[in-house]
Amino acid sequence: MSAHDDDLDRIAQAEQKWRDDVVEPRVKRFGLERSPTHFYTPTAARGFDFLEKVGFPGRYPFTAGNSPFEFWRAHAENAAKLGFRPEGGGGGAAGRYSGYGTAEDYRDYLLRMQSLGSRGGPNVAFDLVTQCGYDSDSPFAEGEVGRVGVAIDSLRDFSVIYEAFTGDRDIDRVPSNFTINAPAAVILAMYTALADARGIPLAALRGTPQNDILKEFIARGTYIYPPRPSMRLFRDTLVFCRKHMPQLNVNSIGGYHIREAGATRVQDLAFSLANGIAYLQEGVDAGLAIDDFAPMFTFNAFGGSMEIYHEIAFQRAARRMWAHLLKERFKATNPRAMMIRQPITAHIGCTSTTLQRPINNLVRSVVGGMAGGMSGGLPAAYPPFDEPLGLGHSLEAIQLQADATRILLYEARVCDTNDPWAGSYFMESLTDETEAAAQVELDKIEAMGGAVAAIESGYMPRAVAKSAYERQKRIENQEEFVVGVNCFTSEQELEVSVNRMVEELYDPGHMRTAEERQLARLTRLRKERDRGAVARTLAALEATARDESANVMPDLIACVKSDATLQEICDVLRGVFGTAEPVKL
Amino acid sequence: MTSTERKIRVLVAKPGLDGHDRGARVVAYGLRDAGFEVIYTGLRQTPEQIATAAVQEDVDVIGLSVLSGAHLALTQKVIEKLRAQGAGDIPVLVGGLIPEADKPVIKAMGVAEVFTAGTSIATIASAIRSIAAKADEGALNREEKP
Repeated sequence: MSAHDDDLDRIAQAEQKWRDDVVEPRVKRFGLERSPTHFYTPTAARGFDFLEKVGFPGRYPFTAGNSPFEFWRAHAENAAKLGFRPEGGGGGAAGRYSGYGTAEDYRDYLLRMQSLGSRGGPNVAFDLVTQCGYDSDSPFAEGEVGRVGVAIDSLRDFSVIYEAFTGDRDIDRVPSNFTINAPAAVILAMYTALADARGIPLAALRGTPQNDILKEFIARGTYIYPPRPSMRLFRDTLVFCRKHMPQLNVNSIGGYHIREAGATRVQDLAFSLANGIAYLQEGVDAGLAIDDFAPMFTFNAFGGSMEIYHEIAFQRAARRMWAHLLKERFKATNPRAMMIRQPITAHIGCTSTTLQRPINNLVRSVVGGMAGGMSGGLPAAYPPFDEPLGLGHSLEAIQLQADATRILLYEARVCDTNDPWAGSYFMESLTDETEAAAQVELDKIEAMGGAVAAIESGYMPRAVAKSAYERQKRIENQEEFVVGVNCFTSEQELEVSVNRMVEELYDPGHMRTAEERQLARLTRLRKERDRGAVARTLAALEATARDESANVMPDLIACVKSDATLQEICDVLRGVFGTAEPVKL
Repeated sequence: MTSTERKIRVLVAKPGLDGHDRGARVVAYGLRDAGFEVIYTGLRQTPEQIATAAVQEDVDVIGLSVLSGAHLALTQKVIEKLRAQGAGDIPVLVGGLIPEADKPVIKAMGVAEVFTAGTSIATIASAIRSIAAKADEGALNREEKP
């Protein structure tokens, strides 16, 4: 792609002549103000240095990918011959993201999945009550217990889930994922307490807590304490993990939620990296070695959209920026510290799907799958087309999604070439533009004092909401088109439908009675436990929490072992740290 | 509009623990730009808090946004709390991830309108205008009766 300067000048002259002789007359002929299309030539990439900007898959700056091929690609052909069906979980060997009802309901679900061939560890969805640090008998809990995930009030509940994981599925054999943020430290304390009870060394534990509190303030909303004490809790988990649980990932940073909440592509990238920097800085400030702890950071996903070229450029720019940050700013030398470890790359995101004419979403997800496969990830056609119906994914939608992914992988062979766009004048300049725009926004946040300050001031959450509104206006003004929503909506268009069989993975009877049964469990716990011990461990926690330099993890472990409830623990911390104020308009 | 040029006051509220507030914020911004006076509660409001805010702010219309699947229980509770505070006549609208089958159930609770994904702000704004006008007429008619 690089051409000598005299060549470039020659091309530039030819390009100008082409614009004058070919493009402009056409623009006039069709009565347009400007050409609706672009064409890129070597002049778009003056000074392009392949080794500096792209390099090789698995080599700094990782623009072309984290490796020449991942596990799934290495075994793709064998998987096809054997008919292997992945569980669609997160990274590592955790199973499918799941959780509902009481711990017993969820345990039984996991056992049922295992009898159907599930091999992974638990990938736990917690109910909103747990995610917000309340007990099931809190006034805030009414109607929410066990709804969007499993209800966990205490170590007893947590341990019941793991009755499904013993023997060759014990916690030194399978990893666990915990999608929880504000109370992540408490859940980690429960995990270590469980290991102690089973006589399993903490060093053998594997898994990933989401533990990404900053994006909760920007997008997802399950925060408890203000940002600064929340970061202190993050620091405590980070330091404890590195000391005692070296195999456990520290967090799973998400730009996905930020984009889904309305952020532009540039905001998604800049805000995610700003959050990442804040987490890295906590480790550095705590005296940890960057090369030791940064490799244990993970990302769950950045956001996505239908703009396939831009999303591929985004993934390339993200990998390069993170690598630069780690190497230049944080002085990392370990290549693993410089990689964005994430289970998927580009995709369309759920906000690209439409409730109107939902089968169109299959086509949309395939576009996302192409982008994923062409940006170093699985060509995952996600989500299933019926996602926006809010009725659970049907078996048909799940199979169509899985088959679309397989067709892209095996028939279209999208993943046989690493970074297939490398060296494209268009893609390289788009990657540079994405990086430059995100860098401007990132510099702006850094100038504000970093992610925490930009959250405290309300800048990041407001910017996301404003972008969401701007997009809505563009859709309403038909500056952006969404088929079946703001264009091609006449009655002549057919509503194409297919049969939808929704598998009752979660027993609806259990769902209905979960709250009642969970309340009974909690009442029993409060009666049976040693109240004095609970009071003692909570008092010790409070004292430790007041000392900013101390690590709360040992106290949290003592609290959960004494059967203190999640809310009792969070309430002690609320007392010391205060609570976060919701962001206004 | 009524004889005075008073702006229609709308309370946009997020009941429950659901943190998905993209829709609520977009609607709040949109209605504000469309000339409404908008009060946004922020996340995690109990039905009691929402009813109290509606009364204290003397709003004409309440818009609830729910995407957690808890829309039936939460809507019912907000309506009960409004009635308990003597504000059962404030029209309630619901928006969010509401399955088609649940729409008639919510309307039967006394909800004026249900909006799902893809609805334009223009549609919501005109619905609120006509609902608020009807509520005003209703109030006038009641006042005229002995």
